[in-house]
Amino acid sequence: MKKLIFPIAVGATLFFSAFTTFTSMNWKIADGYSVKFTSKDPSGVFTSLKGDIAFDANNLAAAKANLVIDVASINTGNGMQNTKAKNDSWFNADKYPTIKFTSSKFAKTATGYEVTGTMEVKDVKKEVTIPFTFVNNTFAASFMINRIDYHVGNTEGMNAHASTDLKIDVSIPVTQQ
Amino acid sequence: MKKTFLHGIVSGIMAAVAAIIYSGIYQNAEGTDFHKLINIGSMTGASLFGCMLMAIGYYLLERFNKENLKGLFNIVIVVISFVSIINPIGMTLPLDIKNPEMFPGLVVPMHFMPALAFLCLVPFFKNKKA
Repeated sequence: MKKLIFPIAVGATLFFSAFTTFTSMNWKIADGYSVKFTSKDPSGVFTSLKGDIAFDANNLAAAKANLVIDVASINTGNGMQNTKAKNDSWFNADKYPTIKFTSSKFAKTATGYEVTGTMEVKDVKKEVTIPFTFVNNTFAASFMINRIDYHVGNTEGMNAHASTDLKIDVSIPVTQQ
Repeated sequence: MKKTFLHGIVSGIMAAVAAIIYSGIYQNAEGTDFHKLINIGSMTGASLFGCMLMAIGYYLLERFNKENLKGLFNIVIVVISFVSIINPIGMTLPLDIKNPEMFPGLVVPMHFMPALAFLCLVPFFKNKKA
């Protein structure tokens, strides 16, 4: 029996450490996150971001991310622009109150990682691949998006001056769950 | 000149006091915080600047014996005050400022305060005719 104690202890340690590894993959979005969009005009931020992130650099196959942005939290720095952004022809916040990103695949790249997933804006679902880094418990991504692809606004009349291509900068500090 | 200068200073202080009181009431009532953009110093400075410009205008009209144009000058003051509200309405605030849609409601009335203060004090600073 005494001979079994050591193997059992090793086995138990390995078994429970496996669960530790599993739980360490889950991350909670911490305060201080930012979702910025930049162009010649308009620029702004979304101030509300929620979601679940599971990420382990050593096990990308198990990684996943579901992010939800509250459209009504848009802030362009101008009250009239904020109201306009929420109206029917732009985000139509009443009908489509959220922007969603659901990951399907993570991969390692030369500079960091990339995530492929479905971006859902208004009535459009589109597969996108977003490069990102994960440093000091912060996910950071920078990519371009074309608002016309997602039926956000148009290029007619007064909307003609609004840039169609916008740079999106996302920074998400996280804490381990 | 002294009287016109005093007119500018007193009306500037009056407009500043009105702006400071209005700012306090508005921001408390609406739960907004624009102190990074507008504070007691900027409200006082802008009010005094506006009223002193009007005083200079009045002084120049008196200096060149064109007092009959004061009515026209008053209209110009009001029109400039009105046109100046385009600035806060179209302004893009820093993105860390919450509720930017509340900003024009705070600042637009203030754009009329120097003109209101200056014009309502005109009778008190009228030069006696020789």
